[in-house]
Amino acid sequence: MPIILLKTEHLLLRQMALDHIVTIQIPFETEKQASIARNSIAADPVLKKNEISVEFIAEGNVLQCKFAGVSDRVIRVAISNCIDNIKTVIETIEEFDGQKDTLFKKDS
Amino acid sequence: MAPIDLDKYVRPGKDHFLALGLEGSANKLGVGVIKHPLGELTPENRALILSNVRDTYITPPGEGFLPRDTARHHRNWVVRIIKRALADAGVAGADLDCICFTQGPGMGAPLQSVVIAARTLAQLWELPLVGVNHCVGHIEMGREITGAENPIVLYVSGGNTQVIAYSNQRYRIFGETLDIAIGNCLDRFARTLKIPNEPAPGYNIEQMAKRGKHLVQLPYTVKGMDLSMSGILGYIDGVAKEMFGPQQKKLVDKETGEEITPEDLCFSLQETLFSMLVEITERAMAHVESNQVLIVGGVGSNERLQEMMALMVKDRKNGSVYSTDERFCIDNGIMIAHAGLLAYRSGQTNALEDTVCTQRFRTDEVFVEWRD
Repeated sequence: MPIILLKTEHLLLRQMALDHIVTIQIPFETEKQASIARNSIAADPVLKKNEISVEFIAEGNVLQCKFAGVSDRVIRVAISNCIDNIKTVIETIEEFDGQKDTLFKKDS
Repeated sequence: MAPIDLDKYVRPGKDHFLALGLEGSANKLGVGVIKHPLGELTPENRALILSNVRDTYITPPGEGFLPRDTARHHRNWVVRIIKRALADAGVAGADLDCICFTQGPGMGAPLQSVVIAARTLAQLWELPLVGVNHCVGHIEMGREITGAENPIVLYVSGGNTQVIAYSNQRYRIFGETLDIAIGNCLDRFARTLKIPNEPAPGYNIEQMAKRGKHLVQLPYTVKGMDLSMSGILGYIDGVAKEMFGPQQKKLVDKETGEEITPEDLCFSLQETLFSMLVEITERAMAHVESNQVLIVGGVGSNERLQEMMALMVKDRKNGSVYSTDERFCIDNGIMIAHAGLLAYRSGQTNALEDTVCTQRFRTDEVFVEWRD
């Protein structure tokens, strides 16, 4: 399982008020996996755009998720949601990457 | 009009199409694999169901399923269920033509939890995605299983209640509920009576209703071609609370003087709601001069509803009722695979940015390119 690295910064972006910022970095095995993960989770629009903005960037084999929100609470909700999605992505990758030609066995 | 060519996108050297379908718009997570032979689907050239796996999120008696918890259930199971469906079908990713997923309508969080897996798998295996309208999935599956050609469709489930007729490449809604869906009405009454949700609340109500003898008068609310059910639910909930709450009020049947039981309430609720459904269905049939009815959706597995519909249809010339069993009328992945594959064969694929799910997605928004 990839290790999740947290980095918190506080910036003074008063005009936007999205001054609570957290970046999550998730390393994948390959560059392709990181970009697949990005594409899978970035397709969904962020609700409440005036309260939170989320940016997903695949850099090499690392997926960077940048959250900027108006409060700790909205950041927490967004991160929790994002990690839930990434869990599904990672599990899907783990089971199916490189298995396109595999005939899965029953009860495995 | 020239016949519709459904074989434009067949892969070289193949004599069939294969699709994986993922459904998770409510509390059922379903994955299925379907195979279409080349050419138009007919009774002699039918779709082949290779696998149909389902896992239902069941809540304790008295509780409904909430979006967050349901989404968590789907996330926990989706990869395992996909694997099982592929294993059951004996199909590898390389054999598939497309991956179909429910794009709506339904509960937002559960829908979204499943589309994440669909997007990831589609990218890993470089397969196109096809977004499917859940209601159209039910209709197409019902048509394929029963062979009904151009029926009036009664779509009755936990989230939807619609009477539908096909015309000019759209499934048009003739009548529908103005408030809650019929399955929602039954499920919520099951919660009031603390009837178990296993295997399904509606199923347990149906079994109890078979033992009911006395009809309790309930409001009957057909409004033109539409129905309203929240008032009926409020009324019968009130009756049940008087009977089983602190008041312990005894209710007796006027004719026999016998005491009203929970079974009688289930029976009365079913009889009233189903009569309303039969009434608007019959009116829709008269409008479009059709003599076939196809019942789809989870409530469609109720045998009493099927029976009442059959009684109505019998009085019409050459009338027939088509329904499917629980494998196909309760939410499942195969119907999504089937409807999605029909759309794929008519040229539909969804780019990643067009795979966002929506809670509201009306049946008549879909352009039915695969029918003439």
